[in-house]
Amino acid sequence: MKSILLIAFTFFIITGCTPENEPQQGNVMGYVPVYAQTTSVLNHRILPQRATSKAGKIYAFGNFLFQNDIGTGIHIINNTNRTSPQKVGFIELPLSTELAVKGNFLYCNNYRDIVVFNITNPATPQMVKRMSNVFPALNQQYPPYNNCSFECVDPNKGVVIYWEEKQITNPKCRR
Amino acid sequence: MPQVKAIYMKRIYCCLFLTILLFTQCSKDASSLNNMSAVTTGAGGSLARFAIAGNYLYTVDDQNLTTYDITNPENPVLKSTRNVGFEIETISPFKDKLFIGSTSVVYIFSLADPASPQQLGVAVSPQVLRRCDPVVAKDTVAFATLRTNGPCGGFQSILAIYDIKDIQNPIQKGMVGVGEPYGLGYSGDALYVCDKQRGLMVFDINNAYTPQVVRTLRDGTYIDVIPYQDMLICWVSTGIIVYDISNNKNPIRIATIN
Repeated sequence: MKSILLIAFTFFIITGCTPENEPQQGNVMGYVPVYAQTTSVLNHRILPQRATSKAGKIYAFGNFLFQNDIGTGIHIINNTNRTSPQKVGFIELPLSTELAVKGNFLYCNNYRDIVVFNITNPATPQMVKRMSNVFPALNQQYPPYNNCSFECVDPNKGVVIYWEEKQITNPKCRR
Repeated sequence: MPQVKAIYMKRIYCCLFLTILLFTQCSKDASSLNNMSAVTTGAGGSLARFAIAGNYLYTVDDQNLTTYDITNPENPVLKSTRNVGFEIETISPFKDKLFIGSTSVVYIFSLADPASPQQLGVAVSPQVLRRCDPVVAKDTVAFATLRTNGPCGGFQSILAIYDIKDIQNPIQKGMVGVGEPYGLGYSGDALYVCDKQRGLMVFDINNAYTPQVVRTLRDGTYIDVIPYQDMLICWVSTGIIVYDISNNKNPIRIATIN
């Protein structure tokens, strides 16, 4: 009996309980695409530190921390004084989501480009390289989750930069 | 029933490879930004799509693994692009290998030739539609959070503990019900699990198959953690919270970055 239950439990975990691809009715939790316009997305600006808006991926390197602000840029944080880390600047970088650091160089995406910043002086990063059209926009058709409802994407509204979890009514899309 | 078992085992394999992935994220060493040695790399989270190993930058999009030589760091040179599969989500280097995770499959690449990674193996689980969530390995044990709830519906989420002495034959030896888990990591005998509903759960894993919750922190909505030096760097919904984990089972909040 116990093993049957366990197998049933396992099966549920694997398959889930909700049938796939059947639109749900009424108010349900799901995902809504958040759009950004692609005009002038390839511009970047070095700005003073600012408050975090949509906290994204993080990276630690030596005494510095980096955090993507989903779709808008990268916070650069001096963590030398661990009880009082200081944001030292913000790279405004539209449609950015990814980041990695090696030595004095920060690698990140800017829409479909990969760009490299020299961060020897972390408060005033210098863009030293742009590689165009090498990193496709991701999750443009559906959210990166299975077995869930979502608001269908309208490409006319721009590029999807983020999927927000919220209550939606009679969603027509599901995966 | 054997089929169900087989599916389940595939799922475990899948998660185990992600294990090694996250494991590496926690063990990188670091130095000052202005005092770098050639071997220093940083540490990213479990959802990274960019990874650096040696003098190479690896990126994964939905389907492709792309390799850049960054020997000259300000001028990456494209070395290779390779179609890997579908719904690729994460990449992580571990020793001489790359682990690439998708929603249902994990691909393992050799970095014997770092400019042109070669596929070594693949853990395929076509029947498994659910994503494999993050896992960490410690010695001969692996910890996995299997999130099956949240907006996508589903059943009970768990922290699962596997015996991985034989990597070809992992065996689940323990299980703890959790709320809505995301990233996880460990430092010594403390395991940290991000749980959207419950908080940051700190487990004592001295008895690995029966982890004991020693405390739960509720300073924010936790998404992922990077144990780094004696800090626990947490990605929370409002930014970053840093804990001192010199005493690894008693994280002391030392900083908040909003």
